[in-house]
Amino acid sequence: MHKLMSNRWTITWLVAPGLTLFLFMVCFPILMSVYYGTTNWTGLGEYQSVGFANYQKVLFDDPIFWRSLWNALLLLLATLLLQHPVAILFAILITRAGRLEKTFRTIFFIPAVISIVVTSKMWVSVFHPSYGVLNKVLEQLGLASLKQDWLGDPSVAIWSLIFVIMWQGFGYALLLYYAGLQGIPKDLYEAAELDGAGKVTLYTRVVVPLLSPMIRVAVIIAVTTCLKQMETVFLMTNGGPGSTTQFLGNYLYKTAFSSSLYGYGNAISVIFVIICLIITVIMNRALKKDVGQF
Amino acid sequence: MERQERPPILLQLLLWLVALLQIFPLVWLVNFSFLKSGEFFGSEILKWPKTFEFANYVNAFTYGSVPKYLVNSFMITAVTIVVAAVFSLMMGYAFTRMEWKLRGLALGLVMLGMIVPIHATLLPNFTLFNNIGLLDHPLSLMLPYIAFSLPISTLIMTGFLETVPRSIEESAVMDGCGVFGLLTRIIFPITKPAIATICIMNFISWWNEFIMANTFLTSDRFKTLPFSIMKFAGQYSSNYGAQFAVMTMIALPTLIIYLLFTEQMARGITAGAVKG
Repeated sequence: MHKLMSNRWTITWLVAPGLTLFLFMVCFPILMSVYYGTTNWTGLGEYQSVGFANYQKVLFDDPIFWRSLWNALLLLLATLLLQHPVAILFAILITRAGRLEKTFRTIFFIPAVISIVVTSKMWVSVFHPSYGVLNKVLEQLGLASLKQDWLGDPSVAIWSLIFVIMWQGFGYALLLYYAGLQGIPKDLYEAAELDGAGKVTLYTRVVVPLLSPMIRVAVIIAVTTCLKQMETVFLMTNGGPGSTTQFLGNYLYKTAFSSSLYGYGNAISVIFVIICLIITVIMNRALKKDVGQF
Repeated sequence: MERQERPPILLQLLLWLVALLQIFPLVWLVNFSFLKSGEFFGSEILKWPKTFEFANYVNAFTYGSVPKYLVNSFMITAVTIVVAAVFSLMMGYAFTRMEWKLRGLALGLVMLGMIVPIHATLLPNFTLFNNIGLLDHPLSLMLPYIAFSLPISTLIMTGFLETVPRSIEESAVMDGCGVFGLLTRIIFPITKPAIATICIMNFISWWNEFIMANTFLTSDRFKTLPFSIMKFAGQYSSNYGAQFAVMTMIALPTLIIYLLFTEQMARGITAGAVKG
Protein backbone atom coordinates (compact mmCIF):
# COMPACT_ATOMS: atom_id res chain seq x y z
CA MET A 1 0.00 0.00 0.00
CA HIS A 2 2.72 2.43 1.03
CA LYS A 3 4.69 1.66 -2.10
CA LEU A 4 1.68 2.27 -4.30
CA MET A 5 0.79 5.49 -2.50
CA SER A 6 4.25 7.02 -2.75
CA ASN A 7 4.84 6.22 -6.41
CA ARG A 8 6.20 9.44 -7.86
CA TRP A 9 4.94 8.84 -11.32
CA THR A 10 1.38 8.31 -10.08
CA ILE A 11 1.53 11.44 -7.96
CA THR A 12 2.75 13.41 -10.95
CA TRP A 13 -0.10 12.41 -13.25
CA LEU A 14 -2.64 13.03 -10.52
CA VAL A 15 -1.44 16.49 -9.58
CA ALA A 16 0.31 17.86 -12.65
CA PRO A 17 -2.65 18.69 -14.93
CA GLY A 18 -4.55 20.71 -12.33
CA LEU A 19 -1.54 22.28 -10.73
CA THR A 20 0.02 23.29 -14.05
CA LEU A 21 -3.19 24.90 -15.21
CA PHE A 22 -3.54 26.67 -11.89
CA LEU A 23 0.02 28.01 -11.95
CA PHE A 24 -0.34 29.04 -15.58
CA MET A 25 -3.68 30.84 -15.14
CA VAL A 26 -3.43 32.26 -11.62
CA CYS A 27 0.18 32.54 -10.42
CA PHE A 28 2.02 33.24 -13.65
CA PRO A 29 -0.29 36.16 -14.62
CA ILE A 30 0.41 37.85 -11.30
CA LEU A 31 4.14 37.69 -12.03
CA MET A 32 3.40 39.17 -15.45
CA SER A 33 1.52 41.97 -13.70
CA VAL A 34 4.47 42.65 -11.43
CA TYR A 35 6.59 43.11 -14.53
CA TYR A 36 4.12 45.20 -16.57
CA GLY A 37 3.53 47.30 -13.49
CA THR A 38 7.07 48.60 -13.85
CA THR A 39 6.45 49.83 -17.40
CA ASN A 40 4.58 52.68 -19.04
CA TRP A 41 2.93 50.39 -21.62
CA THR A 42 -0.36 51.67 -23.02
CA GLY A 43 -1.36 48.23 -24.25
CA LEU A 44 -0.10 48.81 -27.78
CA GLY A 45 3.34 49.39 -29.26
CA GLU A 46 6.61 50.19 -27.54
CA TYR A 47 7.13 50.74 -23.85
CA GLN A 48 9.88 51.62 -21.39
CA SER A 49 10.63 50.58 -17.88
CA VAL A 50 9.73 53.19 -15.29
CA GLY A 51 10.95 51.29 -12.24
CA PHE A 52 8.64 51.47 -9.26
CA ALA A 53 7.15 54.83 -10.23
CA ASN A 54 3.72 53.29 -10.92
CA TYR A 55 3.60 51.50 -7.59
CA GLN A 56 4.67 54.66 -5.80
CA LYS A 57 2.01 56.69 -7.55
CA VAL A 58 -0.74 54.19 -6.69
CA LEU A 59 0.13 54.22 -3.01
CA PHE A 60 1.02 57.86 -2.43
CA ASP A 61 -0.56 59.94 -5.13
CA ASP A 62 -3.79 58.38 -6.31
CA PRO A 63 -6.97 59.59 -4.61
CA ILE A 64 -9.14 57.20 -6.68
CA PHE A 65 -7.19 54.21 -5.39
CA TRP A 66 -7.84 55.28 -1.80
CA ARG A 67 -11.42 56.12 -2.65
CA SER A 68 -11.84 52.57 -3.94
CA LEU A 69 -10.47 51.14 -0.71
CA TRP A 70 -12.67 53.50 1.29
CA ASN A 71 -15.73 52.29 -0.63
CA ALA A 72 -14.78 48.68 0.11
CA LEU A 73 -14.58 49.66 3.77
CA LEU A 74 -18.01 51.33 3.66
CA LEU A 75 -19.42 48.22 2.06
CA LEU A 76 -17.78 46.06 4.69
CA LEU A 77 -19.14 48.17 7.55
CA ALA A 78 -22.64 48.05 6.08
CA THR A 79 -22.33 44.30 5.62
CA LEU A 80 -21.10 43.64 9.15
CA LEU A 81 -23.36 46.09 10.97
CA LEU A 82 -26.56 45.59 8.98
CA GLN A 83 -26.55 42.51 6.81
CA HIS A 84 -25.01 40.07 9.26
CA PRO A 85 -27.08 40.90 12.36
CA VAL A 86 -30.24 40.73 10.25
CA ALA A 87 -29.03 37.46 8.72
CA ILE A 88 -28.42 35.97 12.17
CA LEU A 89 -31.87 37.09 13.32
CA PHE A 90 -33.59 35.60 10.30
CA ALA A 91 -31.54 32.40 10.46
CA ILE A 92 -32.90 31.98 14.00
CA LEU A 93 -36.44 32.88 12.96
CA ILE A 94 -36.31 30.40 10.10
CA THR A 95 -35.35 27.54 12.39
CA ARG A 96 -38.57 28.25 14.29
CA ALA A 97 -40.73 28.33 11.16
CA GLY A 98 -41.61 24.63 11.37
CA ARG A 99 -42.69 23.12 8.09
CA LEU A 100 -41.99 26.38 6.22
CA GLU A 101 -38.33 26.26 7.24
CA LYS A 102 -37.12 24.94 3.90
CA THR A 103 -39.38 27.21 1.84
CA PHE A 104 -38.02 30.37 3.45
CA ARG A 105 -34.43 29.21 3.26
CA THR A 106 -34.92 28.61 -0.45
CA ILE A 107 -36.60 31.96 -1.13
CA PHE A 108 -34.00 34.02 0.75
CA PHE A 109 -31.20 32.50 -1.27
CA ILE A 110 -32.76 33.06 -4.70
CA PRO A 111 -31.11 36.44 -5.42
CA ALA A 112 -27.70 34.88 -4.78
CA VAL A 113 -28.03 32.37 -7.62
CA ILE A 114 -29.23 34.76 -10.29
CA SER A 115 -26.65 36.13 -12.69
CA ILE A 116 -25.12 39.41 -11.53
CA VAL A 117 -25.68 40.76 -15.02
CA VAL A 118 -29.42 40.21 -14.58
CA THR A 119 -29.62 41.55 -11.03
CA SER A 120 -27.45 44.58 -11.80
CA LYS A 121 -29.42 45.57 -14.88
CA MET A 122 -32.64 44.84 -13.00
CA TRP A 123 -31.65 47.21 -10.19
CA VAL A 124 -30.62 49.85 -12.67
CA SER A 125 -34.24 49.63 -13.86
CA VAL A 126 -35.61 49.65 -10.31
CA PHE A 127 -33.64 52.84 -9.62
CA HIS A 128 -34.51 54.38 -12.99
CA PRO A 129 -35.75 57.96 -12.44
CA SER A 130 -38.66 57.74 -14.89
CA TYR A 131 -39.97 54.16 -14.97
CA GLY A 132 -38.14 52.67 -11.96
CA VAL A 133 -40.37 50.94 -9.43
CA LEU A 134 -38.63 52.46 -6.41
CA ASN A 135 -39.69 56.03 -7.15
CA LYS A 136 -43.21 54.78 -7.95
CA VAL A 137 -43.44 52.99 -4.61
CA LEU A 138 -42.29 56.12 -2.78
CA GLU A 139 -44.91 58.15 -4.58
CA GLN A 140 -47.68 55.69 -3.71
CA LEU A 141 -46.61 55.78 -0.08
CA GLY A 142 -46.86 59.57 -0.08
CA LEU A 143 -43.11 59.93 0.23
CA ALA A 144 -42.63 61.69 -3.09
CA SER A 145 -40.09 64.03 -1.50
CA LEU A 146 -37.71 61.08 -1.15
CA LYS A 147 -37.74 60.41 -4.88
CA GLN A 148 -34.36 60.83 -6.48
CA ASP A 149 -31.89 59.83 -9.12
CA TRP A 150 -30.58 56.90 -7.09
CA LEU A 151 -27.54 56.15 -9.23
CA GLY A 152 -26.92 59.63 -10.65
CA ASP A 153 -26.51 61.57 -7.43
CA PRO A 154 -22.87 61.34 -6.25
CA SER A 155 -23.78 61.30 -2.57
CA VAL A 156 -26.53 58.66 -2.95
CA ALA A 157 -25.08 56.35 -5.61
CA ILE A 158 -22.63 54.53 -3.34
CA TRP A 159 -25.42 53.68 -0.88
CA SER A 160 -27.69 52.45 -3.66
CA LEU A 161 -24.86 50.24 -4.82
CA ILE A 162 -24.10 48.97 -1.31
CA PHE A 163 -27.77 48.18 -0.86
CA VAL A 164 -27.86 46.07 -4.03
CA ILE A 165 -24.72 44.16 -3.09
CA MET A 166 -26.12 43.47 0.38
CA TRP A 167 -29.43 42.39 -1.11
CA GLN A 168 -27.72 39.84 -3.32
CA GLY A 169 -25.42 38.57 -0.58
CA PHE A 170 -28.07 38.33 2.13
CA GLY A 171 -29.06 34.75 1.32
CA TYR A 172 -25.46 33.68 1.47
CA ALA A 173 -24.88 35.13 4.94
CA LEU A 174 -28.20 33.67 6.07
CA LEU A 175 -27.26 30.22 4.81
CA LEU A 176 -23.94 30.28 6.67
CA TYR A 177 -25.57 31.21 9.96
CA TYR A 178 -28.36 28.73 9.38
CA ALA A 179 -25.75 26.00 8.93
CA GLY A 180 -24.05 27.22 12.10
CA LEU A 181 -27.32 26.91 14.01
CA GLN A 182 -27.75 23.34 12.77
CA GLY A 183 -24.42 22.49 14.39
CA ILE A 184 -25.63 23.48 17.86
CA PRO A 185 -26.89 20.39 19.68
CA LYS A 186 -30.64 20.40 20.34
CA ASP A 187 -30.30 19.36 24.01
CA LEU A 188 -28.52 22.65 24.72
CA TYR A 189 -31.76 24.49 24.00
CA GLU A 190 -33.64 22.16 26.33
CA ALA A 191 -31.03 22.49 29.05
CA ALA A 192 -31.21 26.27 28.85
CA GLU A 193 -35.00 26.15 29.02
CA LEU A 194 -34.86 23.86 32.05
CA ASP A 195 -32.55 26.37 33.70
CA GLY A 196 -35.31 28.90 33.22
CA ALA A 197 -33.80 30.94 30.41
CA GLY A 198 -36.36 32.93 28.42
CA LYS A 199 -36.32 32.93 24.61
CA VAL A 200 -34.34 36.18 24.37
CA THR A 201 -31.78 35.12 26.98
CA LEU A 202 -31.52 31.74 25.30
CA TYR A 203 -30.54 33.32 22.01
CA THR A 204 -28.40 36.22 23.21
CA ARG A 205 -26.55 34.35 25.95
CA VAL A 206 -26.37 30.81 24.62
CA VAL A 207 -26.99 30.51 20.89
CA VAL A 208 -25.21 33.58 19.48
CA PRO A 209 -22.02 32.93 21.50
CA LEU A 210 -22.06 29.35 20.22
CA LEU A 211 -22.35 30.72 16.69
CA SER A 212 -19.04 32.56 17.06
CA PRO A 213 -17.00 30.07 14.99
CA MET A 214 -19.44 30.60 12.13
CA ILE A 215 -19.48 34.36 12.69
CA ARG A 216 -15.72 34.29 12.37
CA VAL A 217 -15.90 32.43 9.06
CA ALA A 218 -18.64 34.71 7.76
CA VAL A 219 -16.65 37.83 8.70
CA ILE A 220 -13.55 36.57 6.87
CA ILE A 221 -15.65 35.82 3.80
CA ALA A 222 -17.33 39.24 4.02
CA VAL A 223 -13.99 41.07 4.15
CA THR A 224 -12.66 39.36 1.05
CA THR A 225 -15.88 39.64 -0.95
CA CYS A 226 -16.21 43.35 -0.13
CA LEU A 227 -12.67 43.95 -1.28
CA LYS A 228 -13.18 41.90 -4.46
CA GLN A 229 -16.41 43.59 -5.40
CA MET A 230 -16.48 44.38 -9.09
CA GLU A 231 -19.25 43.02 -11.34
CA THR A 232 -22.11 44.93 -9.76
CA VAL A 233 -20.12 48.16 -9.88
CA PHE A 234 -19.03 47.58 -13.47
CA LEU A 235 -22.57 46.93 -14.63
CA MET A 236 -24.45 49.50 -12.57
CA THR A 237 -22.30 52.62 -12.32
CA ASN A 238 -18.86 51.78 -13.72
CA GLY A 239 -17.48 53.71 -10.77
CA GLY A 240 -19.43 56.87 -11.48
CA PRO A 241 -20.70 59.50 -11.05
CA GLY A 242 -17.12 60.78 -10.93
CA SER A 243 -15.26 58.12 -9.01
CA THR A 244 -17.65 58.05 -6.09
CA THR A 245 -18.59 54.38 -6.47
CA GLN A 246 -15.22 53.08 -7.61
CA PHE A 247 -13.89 49.73 -6.37
CA LEU A 248 -10.40 48.33 -6.93
CA GLY A 249 -11.32 45.65 -9.47
CA ASN A 250 -13.29 48.06 -11.58
CA TYR A 251 -10.69 50.80 -11.22
CA LEU A 252 -7.81 48.71 -12.52
CA TYR A 253 -9.98 47.52 -15.40
CA LYS A 254 -11.00 51.03 -16.35
CA THR A 255 -7.42 52.32 -16.03
CA ALA A 256 -6.07 49.65 -18.36
CA PHE A 257 -8.80 49.43 -20.96
CA SER A 258 -10.51 52.83 -21.00
CA SER A 259 -7.63 55.11 -20.05
CA SER A 260 -5.03 52.96 -21.88
CA LEU A 261 -2.73 53.03 -18.88
CA TYR A 262 -2.01 49.31 -19.07
CA GLY A 263 1.21 49.45 -17.05
CA TYR A 264 -0.39 51.51 -14.33
CA GLY A 265 -3.41 49.20 -14.24
CA ASN A 266 -1.11 46.25 -13.63
CA ALA A 267 0.53 48.09 -10.76
CA ILE A 268 -2.91 48.53 -9.16
CA SER A 269 -3.56 44.85 -9.84
CA VAL A 270 -0.44 43.76 -7.97
CA ILE A 271 -1.15 46.01 -5.01
CA PHE A 272 -4.69 44.64 -5.01
CA VAL A 273 -3.40 41.05 -4.67
CA ILE A 274 -0.98 42.09 -1.93
CA ILE A 275 -3.76 43.83 0.01
CA CYS A 276 -5.93 40.71 -0.25
CA LEU A 277 -3.07 38.51 0.99
CA ILE A 278 -2.19 40.79 3.90
CA ILE A 279 -5.78 41.18 5.02
CA THR A 280 -6.43 37.45 4.84
CA VAL A 281 -3.37 36.71 6.94
CA ILE A 282 -4.29 39.37 9.50
CA MET A 283 -7.89 38.18 9.68
CA ASN A 284 -6.87 34.57 10.19
CA ARG A 285 -4.45 35.55 12.96
CA ALA A 286 -6.82 37.93 14.69
CA LEU A 287 -9.83 35.65 14.61
CA LYS A 288 -8.11 32.36 15.39
CA LYS A 289 -8.89 32.44 19.12
CA ASP A 290 -12.12 31.95 21.08
CA VAL A 291 -13.51 28.88 19.37
CA GLY A 292 -16.71 27.90 21.14
CA GLN A 293 -16.70 24.60 23.00
CA PHE A 294 -19.68 22.37 23.47
CA MET B 1 -39.00 18.47 20.22
CA GLU B 2 -39.74 15.95 17.46
CA ARG B 3 -43.31 17.06 16.94
CA GLN B 4 -43.24 20.13 14.73
CA GLU B 5 -45.25 22.82 16.38
CA ARG B 6 -47.13 25.30 14.24
CA PRO B 7 -45.11 28.51 14.10
CA PRO B 8 -46.75 31.58 15.65
CA ILE B 9 -48.79 33.56 13.14
CA LEU B 10 -46.84 36.76 13.74
CA LEU B 11 -43.56 35.04 12.94
CA GLN B 12 -45.04 33.58 9.76
CA LEU B 13 -46.28 36.98 8.67
CA LEU B 14 -42.93 38.61 9.31
CA LEU B 15 -41.05 35.93 7.38
CA TRP B 16 -43.46 36.08 4.45
CA LEU B 17 -43.20 39.88 4.37
CA VAL B 18 -39.41 39.91 4.27
CA ALA B 19 -39.26 37.01 1.83
CA LEU B 20 -41.59 38.85 -0.53
CA LEU B 21 -39.58 42.07 -0.20
CA GLN B 22 -36.46 40.08 -0.96
CA ILE B 23 -37.78 38.69 -4.23
CA PHE B 24 -40.03 41.64 -5.09
CA PRO B 25 -37.66 43.14 -7.70
CA LEU B 26 -37.69 39.78 -9.47
CA VAL B 27 -41.47 39.65 -9.40
CA TRP B 28 -41.54 43.15 -10.86
CA LEU B 29 -39.07 42.06 -13.54
CA VAL B 30 -41.21 39.11 -14.63
CA ASN B 31 -44.39 41.16 -14.47
CA PHE B 32 -43.08 43.99 -16.63
CA SER B 33 -41.56 41.57 -19.12
CA PHE B 34 -45.13 40.97 -20.28
CA LEU B 35 -45.95 44.66 -20.80
CA LYS B 36 -45.66 46.85 -23.85
CA SER B 37 -42.70 49.23 -23.57
CA GLY B 38 -45.13 52.17 -23.55
CA GLU B 39 -46.85 50.81 -20.45
CA PHE B 40 -43.65 51.05 -18.39
CA PHE B 41 -44.23 54.68 -17.53
CA GLY B 42 -47.57 54.31 -15.74
CA SER B 43 -47.73 54.90 -12.01
CA GLU B 44 -48.69 51.33 -11.08
CA ILE B 45 -46.17 49.28 -9.15
CA LEU B 46 -47.32 45.94 -10.48
CA LYS B 47 -49.68 45.73 -13.40
CA TRP B 48 -51.76 42.89 -14.82
CA PRO B 49 -51.04 43.09 -18.56
CA LYS B 50 -54.03 43.87 -20.81
CA THR B 51 -52.63 41.40 -23.27
CA PHE B 52 -49.57 39.34 -22.51
CA GLU B 53 -46.80 40.64 -24.75
CA PHE B 54 -45.18 37.37 -25.75
CA ALA B 55 -43.68 39.38 -28.59
CA ASN B 56 -41.17 40.63 -26.02
CA TYR B 57 -39.84 37.12 -25.62
CA VAL B 58 -39.71 36.60 -29.37
CA ASN B 59 -37.81 39.88 -29.76
CA ALA B 60 -35.49 39.01 -26.91
CA PHE B 61 -34.74 35.71 -28.60
CA THR B 62 -33.90 37.27 -31.94
CA TYR B 63 -32.29 40.63 -31.08
CA GLY B 64 -30.51 39.15 -28.09
CA SER B 65 -29.09 36.20 -30.10
CA VAL B 66 -30.30 33.99 -27.27
CA PRO B 67 -30.08 30.59 -29.04
CA LYS B 68 -26.50 31.12 -30.20
CA TYR B 69 -25.28 32.49 -26.86
CA LEU B 70 -27.11 29.74 -25.03
CA VAL B 71 -25.20 27.08 -26.96
CA ASN B 72 -21.89 28.90 -26.26
CA SER B 73 -22.65 29.21 -22.57
CA PHE B 74 -23.68 25.60 -22.37
CA MET B 75 -20.57 24.34 -24.13
CA ILE B 76 -18.12 26.46 -22.16
CA THR B 77 -19.76 25.72 -18.80
CA ALA B 78 -20.06 22.00 -19.51
CA VAL B 79 -16.39 21.58 -20.39
CA THR B 80 -15.38 23.68 -17.39
CA ILE B 81 -17.37 21.76 -14.80
CA VAL B 82 -16.43 18.33 -16.11
CA VAL B 83 -12.70 19.07 -16.27
CA ALA B 84 -12.76 20.89 -12.92
CA ALA B 85 -14.48 17.90 -11.30
CA VAL B 86 -11.98 15.40 -12.75
CA PHE B 87 -8.96 17.52 -11.78
CA SER B 88 -10.21 18.15 -8.28
CA LEU B 89 -10.91 14.43 -7.80
CA MET B 90 -7.37 13.61 -8.90
CA MET B 91 -5.79 16.34 -6.80
CA GLY B 92 -8.01 15.63 -3.84
CA TYR B 93 -6.92 12.01 -3.95
CA ALA B 94 -3.26 12.91 -4.20
CA PHE B 95 -3.60 15.37 -1.30
CA THR B 96 -5.38 12.97 1.06
CA ARG B 97 -3.99 9.54 0.20
CA MET B 98 -0.66 9.80 -1.52
CA GLU B 99 2.52 10.33 0.42
CA TRP B 100 4.85 12.97 -1.00
CA LYS B 101 7.12 15.64 0.33
CA LEU B 102 5.74 18.69 -1.48
CA ARG B 103 2.13 17.90 -0.56
CA GLY B 104 1.74 20.68 2.01
CA LEU B 105 3.36 23.24 -0.25
CA ALA B 106 1.23 22.32 -3.27
CA LEU B 107 -1.98 22.32 -1.26
CA GLY B 108 -1.12 25.70 0.25
CA LEU B 109 -0.42 27.09 -3.20
CA VAL B 110 -3.77 25.96 -4.56
CA MET B 111 -5.57 27.35 -1.52
CA LEU B 112 -3.89 30.69 -2.19
CA GLY B 113 -6.14 30.81 -5.24
CA MET B 114 -9.10 31.52 -2.99
CA ILE B 115 -7.47 34.75 -1.87
CA VAL B 116 -6.35 36.00 -5.28
CA PRO B 117 -9.10 38.12 -6.84
CA ILE B 118 -9.97 37.01 -10.37
CA HIS B 119 -9.93 40.66 -11.40
CA ALA B 120 -6.21 40.86 -10.75
CA THR B 121 -5.63 38.29 -13.50
CA LEU B 122 -7.73 40.09 -16.11
CA LEU B 123 -5.03 42.39 -17.45
CA PRO B 124 -2.10 39.95 -17.60
CA ASN B 125 -4.28 37.15 -18.96
CA PHE B 126 -5.52 39.49 -21.66
CA THR B 127 -1.92 40.06 -22.77
CA LEU B 128 -1.08 36.39 -22.34
CA PHE B 129 -4.00 35.23 -24.49
CA ASN B 130 -3.24 37.91 -27.01
CA ASN B 131 0.35 36.67 -27.32
CA ILE B 132 -0.51 32.99 -27.67
CA GLY B 133 -3.45 33.65 -30.01
CA LEU B 134 -6.18 32.50 -27.64
CA LEU B 135 -8.02 35.78 -27.45
CA ASP B 136 -11.61 35.42 -28.62
CA HIS B 137 -11.39 31.64 -28.30
CA PRO B 138 -13.53 29.49 -25.95
CA LEU B 139 -10.34 28.24 -24.28
CA SER B 140 -9.64 31.79 -23.07
CA LEU B 141 -12.63 31.31 -20.78
CA MET B 142 -12.41 27.59 -20.04
CA LEU B 143 -8.79 27.69 -18.84
CA PRO B 144 -9.20 30.43 -16.21
CA TYR B 145 -12.64 29.13 -15.24
CA ILE B 146 -11.21 25.68 -14.52
CA ALA B 147 -8.17 27.16 -12.76
CA PHE B 148 -10.29 29.32 -10.47
CA SER B 149 -12.65 26.41 -9.76
CA LEU B 150 -9.83 24.25 -8.46
CA PRO B 151 -9.19 25.76 -5.00
CA ILE B 152 -12.75 25.46 -3.67
CA SER B 153 -13.44 22.20 -5.55
CA THR B 154 -10.26 20.56 -4.26
CA LEU B 155 -11.08 21.78 -0.78
CA ILE B 156 -14.52 20.19 -0.86
CA MET B 157 -13.05 17.01 -2.31
CA THR B 158 -10.26 16.66 0.29
CA GLY B 159 -12.76 17.37 3.04
CA PHE B 160 -15.02 14.61 1.75
CA LEU B 161 -12.22 12.11 1.12
CA GLU B 162 -10.94 12.51 4.67
CA THR B 163 -14.24 11.11 5.93
CA VAL B 164 -14.03 8.05 3.65
CA PRO B 165 -12.48 5.04 5.41
CA ARG B 166 -9.41 3.65 3.68
CA SER B 167 -10.19 0.01 4.32
CA ILE B 168 -12.07 -0.46 1.03
CA GLU B 169 -9.14 0.86 -0.96
CA GLU B 170 -6.72 -1.29 1.02
CA SER B 171 -8.60 -4.46 0.21
CA ALA B 172 -8.87 -3.44 -3.45
CA VAL B 173 -5.12 -2.94 -3.56
CA MET B 174 -4.70 -6.43 -2.07
CA ASP B 175 -6.72 -7.70 -5.02
CA GLY B 176 -4.24 -6.05 -7.38
CA CYS B 177 -6.03 -2.81 -8.16
CA GLY B 178 -3.88 0.16 -9.25
CA VAL B 179 -4.43 3.83 -8.49
CA PHE B 180 -6.29 4.41 -11.74
CA GLY B 181 -8.63 1.51 -10.94
CA LEU B 182 -9.08 2.82 -7.39
CA LEU B 183 -10.10 6.22 -8.70
CA THR B 184 -12.51 5.06 -11.39
CA ARG B 185 -14.06 2.04 -9.68
CA ILE B 186 -14.02 2.91 -5.98
CA ILE B 187 -13.35 6.58 -5.28
CA PHE B 188 -15.51 8.01 -8.05
CA PRO B 189 -18.70 6.17 -7.00
CA ILE B 190 -18.09 6.98 -3.31
CA THR B 191 -17.45 10.69 -3.90
CA LYS B 192 -20.48 11.21 -6.13
CA PRO B 193 -22.22 13.51 -3.59
CA ALA B 194 -19.12 15.71 -3.34
CA ILE B 195 -18.77 15.74 -7.13
CA ALA B 196 -22.41 16.76 -7.50
CA THR B 197 -21.88 19.64 -5.08
CA ILE B 198 -18.74 20.76 -6.89
CA CYS B 199 -20.46 20.64 -10.29
CA ILE B 200 -23.50 22.60 -9.14
CA MET B 201 -21.42 25.29 -7.47
CA ASN B 202 -19.18 25.65 -10.50
CA PHE B 203 -22.19 25.72 -12.76
CA ILE B 204 -23.73 28.63 -10.88
CA SER B 205 -20.52 30.65 -10.78
CA TRP B 206 -19.40 30.13 -14.38
CA TRP B 207 -22.75 30.14 -16.09
CA ASN B 208 -23.19 33.61 -14.63
CA GLU B 209 -19.63 34.81 -15.21
CA PHE B 210 -19.40 38.07 -17.10
CA ILE B 211 -16.20 40.04 -16.53
CA MET B 212 -13.77 37.57 -18.06
CA ALA B 213 -16.12 36.87 -20.94
CA ASN B 214 -16.42 40.59 -21.52
CA THR B 215 -12.64 40.97 -21.52
CA PHE B 216 -11.43 37.95 -23.47
CA LEU B 217 -14.14 37.63 -26.11
CA THR B 218 -13.93 40.33 -28.71
CA SER B 219 -16.17 39.10 -31.50
CA ASP B 220 -19.74 37.86 -31.46
CA ARG B 221 -18.88 34.25 -32.24
CA PHE B 222 -18.31 32.74 -28.80
CA LYS B 223 -20.17 35.18 -26.58
CA THR B 224 -22.10 33.76 -23.66
CA LEU B 225 -25.63 34.29 -22.45
CA PRO B 226 -25.12 37.42 -20.27
CA PHE B 227 -24.24 39.29 -23.46
CA SER B 228 -27.83 38.99 -24.62
CA ILE B 229 -28.66 41.63 -22.04
CA MET B 230 -25.80 43.84 -23.13
CA LYS B 231 -27.17 43.82 -26.67
CA PHE B 232 -30.07 45.85 -25.38
CA ALA B 233 -27.77 48.52 -24.00
CA GLY B 234 -27.26 50.13 -27.39
CA GLN B 235 -29.41 49.69 -30.43
CA TYR B 236 -32.55 48.36 -28.75
CA SER B 237 -32.24 50.22 -25.47
CA SER B 238 -35.73 51.69 -25.66
CA ASN B 239 -37.33 48.28 -26.11
CA TYR B 240 -37.85 47.86 -22.36
CA GLY B 241 -40.26 44.96 -22.70
CA ALA B 242 -37.80 42.80 -24.62
CA GLN B 243 -35.02 43.85 -22.27
CA PHE B 244 -36.99 42.62 -19.28
CA ALA B 245 -37.91 39.45 -21.16
CA VAL B 246 -34.29 38.63 -21.90
CA MET B 247 -33.35 39.16 -18.24
CA THR B 248 -36.12 36.83 -17.16
CA MET B 249 -35.00 34.17 -19.61
CA ILE B 250 -31.40 34.32 -18.44
CA ALA B 251 -32.37 34.13 -14.79
CA LEU B 252 -34.51 31.04 -15.36
CA PRO B 253 -31.94 28.25 -15.99
CA THR B 254 -29.96 28.98 -12.82
CA LEU B 255 -33.13 29.36 -10.82
CA ILE B 256 -34.40 25.98 -12.00
CA ILE B 257 -31.07 24.26 -11.30
CA TYR B 258 -31.04 25.85 -7.87
CA LEU B 259 -34.58 24.76 -7.06
CA LEU B 260 -33.77 21.21 -8.18
CA PHE B 261 -30.53 20.96 -6.21
CA THR B 262 -31.13 23.28 -3.25
CA GLU B 263 -29.73 20.82 -0.72
CA GLN B 264 -26.50 20.02 -2.57
CA MET B 265 -25.83 23.72 -3.05
CA ALA B 266 -26.45 24.58 0.56
CA ARG B 267 -24.13 21.76 1.59
CA GLY B 268 -21.42 22.85 -0.83
CA ILE B 269 -21.47 26.46 0.23
CA THR B 270 -21.33 25.75 3.92
CA ALA B 271 -18.74 22.97 3.52
CA GLY B 272 -16.53 25.25 1.44
CA ALA B 273 -16.86 28.09 3.90
CA VAL B 274 -16.20 26.13 7.06
CA LYS B 275 -13.15 24.31 5.76
CA GLY B 276 -11.71 27.48 4.26
